[in-house]
Amino acid sequence: MFTTGSKYCFGIAGLGSLGAVVYMVLVNPSDVGVLALLGIAIAMSLVGGVAQFTGDFDVDSPNDALTANAVAPANSMWPLVLAVGSVFLLVGMTTDPIIFILGIVIIIAAGVEWALQSWAERASSDSAFNRFVRERALTSLELPIFVGGGVAIIAVAFSRIMLAVSPQNGAILFIVFATAVLIVGFLVSLKSNMKKSTIAATCVLGAVVLLVSGGIAGFNGNREQLVSAAAEDHYSHKECEAAESKYFDKHSENAVSMKSGISATIRVKDGKLTAQLIGIDTPVQAVTVRRSNSTTILFRNLDDAQYRLVANLGTKKIADTGVEEEIVDCTQMTGKNQTQALILKISKPSASSGPYTLTVPGLEGQEIAVVVP
Amino acid sequence: MRLRRIGLGLAASSAMFLAGCARNAPQDTWQPKGENAQKINNLDWMVFPLAGIVGVLVFALIAYILFRFRDKGQALPTQSHGNPAVEIALTIVPALILSVVGVFTFKGIFELAKTDDTQMVINVTGQQWWWEYDYPAQVVNGVEITQPIITSGQLVIPTGTNVLLRETSRDVIHSYWIPALNGKKDAVPGRINLLRIQADKPGIFAGQCTEFCGLSHANMRMEAVALGPEDFAAWIANQQRNAEAPAQATLAQEGEAVFLNQCVRCHQVNGLKKADGTAAIAAPDENVYSGAAPNLTHLMSRNTFAGATFDLLTSSCRKNVWTASPEEFGSAYLKGVTTDCLNQTDLRRWLRNAPAMKPMYADPIKLARSDGKYRGMPNLGLSESDIDKLVAYLSTLK
Repeated sequence: MFTTGSKYCFGIAGLGSLGAVVYMVLVNPSDVGVLALLGIAIAMSLVGGVAQFTGDFDVDSPNDALTANAVAPANSMWPLVLAVGSVFLLVGMTTDPIIFILGIVIIIAAGVEWALQSWAERASSDSAFNRFVRERALTSLELPIFVGGGVAIIAVAFSRIMLAVSPQNGAILFIVFATAVLIVGFLVSLKSNMKKSTIAATCVLGAVVLLVSGGIAGFNGNREQLVSAAAEDHYSHKECEAAESKYFDKHSENAVSMKSGISATIRVKDGKLTAQLIGIDTPVQAVTVRRSNSTTILFRNLDDAQYRLVANLGTKKIADTGVEEEIVDCTQMTGKNQTQALILKISKPSASSGPYTLTVPGLEGQEIAVVVP
Repeated sequence: MRLRRIGLGLAASSAMFLAGCARNAPQDTWQPKGENAQKINNLDWMVFPLAGIVGVLVFALIAYILFRFRDKGQALPTQSHGNPAVEIALTIVPALILSVVGVFTFKGIFELAKTDDTQMVINVTGQQWWWEYDYPAQVVNGVEITQPIITSGQLVIPTGTNVLLRETSRDVIHSYWIPALNGKKDAVPGRINLLRIQADKPGIFAGQCTEFCGLSHANMRMEAVALGPEDFAAWIANQQRNAEAPAQATLAQEGEAVFLNQCVRCHQVNGLKKADGTAAIAAPDENVYSGAAPNLTHLMSRNTFAGATFDLLTSSCRKNVWTASPEEFGSAYLKGVTTDCLNQTDLRRWLRNAPAMKPMYADPIKLARSDGKYRGMPNLGLSESDIDKLVAYLSTLK
């Protein structure tokens, strides 16, 4: 009665309608999700109706059946799984990203399985050969996924070990591990008649040792040095003095500058501080920063000396002590022709606790006003 | 039977075609009111007929094939593969059409992206579900903006001036579109996108956010107001003033106290002072997910509220502004919202229960996803007496 293609569409329409009822009962009868699900049901009913009317995809019709393979295709659950995945995808669009992602995964998996099953069933009239074709095709997909996952697990396990041991022991461990891999590889290549089971056992043993060690290392946590560095805020605490700092400026040369989405560019050239707004050619002495909005400002040093840009953003009262503390933010030390980005997010207008300024330690008496309306 | 079907088909097609006709269409893309929109319009008039002809041909052919060759149990026709002449023709003809369209389109894109002739800059910030405009200090056509102006809902620009909008967003992606003045431009968090607009004559032009941005996307509207040079100077002068305190022992003064108690948590009124004489500074960053709420210092100088969704003017007064001639438009707009023109009905409804008028994520039970902060204005549970006082106070914010 129903053509193959229309079954898929009517399946989605049915599940969409059912989903809408469930959504109405369990979530919210007036939510946009109900409308979305009913919209899907109506749209897929329409498409299914057209497919049914035109006989599209009707492999069972007398004419198309002439060209179909003599071997009848087996029943497939993948159209149903695909329909379920489509509903997950569309429900996820209006509700939860996790459901949306789950829908994508189900659709991809079901689509691939369905396509390969359908293709393999028509490869020949020999069902055994068809199964072989299907497995061969699926292996080429499944193997990279399993290998990729395996490599990722090994990398995570190894990284946990390296983060747990001291840097010196880590270097020794790395050398030992690499040497072991090299020796095993050398032996395998030397003894070409080595049993496959021996090679497999060696690999499994190595993997188990690595995974168990990684698990233990992950359970014990990072080495003391890293823990204390994180506790002392070495990585995010900004030291905004004129001199180069021990931790904050350590890798300034590796900093990646943001080249897009900038609001203004602050330049130091010939010892002079200037500001330029995107879209306006002439330099300005004041930069407007929107309240409560992340604003990216680029700092470009064109002089030989190293400088950093410092944002002086008023003061705040510390709740416990009542002491007024200056709010300061800054870039890392920036060498000649280097650029650094400073992202400001200011919640109070400059009139309330300003004036806010941008300064460069070492270039005294010069500043760019920061206006927060 | 066949004639009846054709008749029904024609009637349905005519109804759909006529549904596109409207006398009151403020967002009509075919009515440009500025240089940039005119450039888009010129391109449209070249591309639209071409695309229309191709579209009609393709749809007609598909419909014909669907019905003519539908499965009626007939034998399969002879299957053939490849026809070099048809394939070459079907490749070259579209390529030629697209090349011609492409040349004019790229020319238009580059012209619209020009910023080197900017005469004025306005920062435009989108958030759920309203637009904020701040005017940095600058000199515009001899008029000096000495301190930044901040307003919302209605963008006020001078006529005959190339205005550069520097757009961004505080929360999700929005898209700014005043069809009469230029095309669309996305407002993206963390990015500054540029859009140049220019209006030939004084007038008011409607717009709409065109990037789905959440529950009240359809209610995220905006209007651009173009004023002549003198009227614009008068508007600038007024916007740079602080709000004046209401007269002693008036209902408005009582309303100021309610405002300080309830509204100043999010809404800034420049010049408003607390009981101890210090400036009242709003803290929308502590209460609103986007970290901002409209500045209400000159609320009654604009014609709309709640993201330009509702009118502050009664319908007759609104009509007077929208239908004013270019010569009279400036004075009609600068009158602002007078007492007899105030749309008290909608303003009171809004103060009574804002989420009931405009869908917003303002249910206190559902704030977990937004760090306990509101998206939009919540129901403050104000008493009718407080609403009377607030309306009286807000009416003074000219």
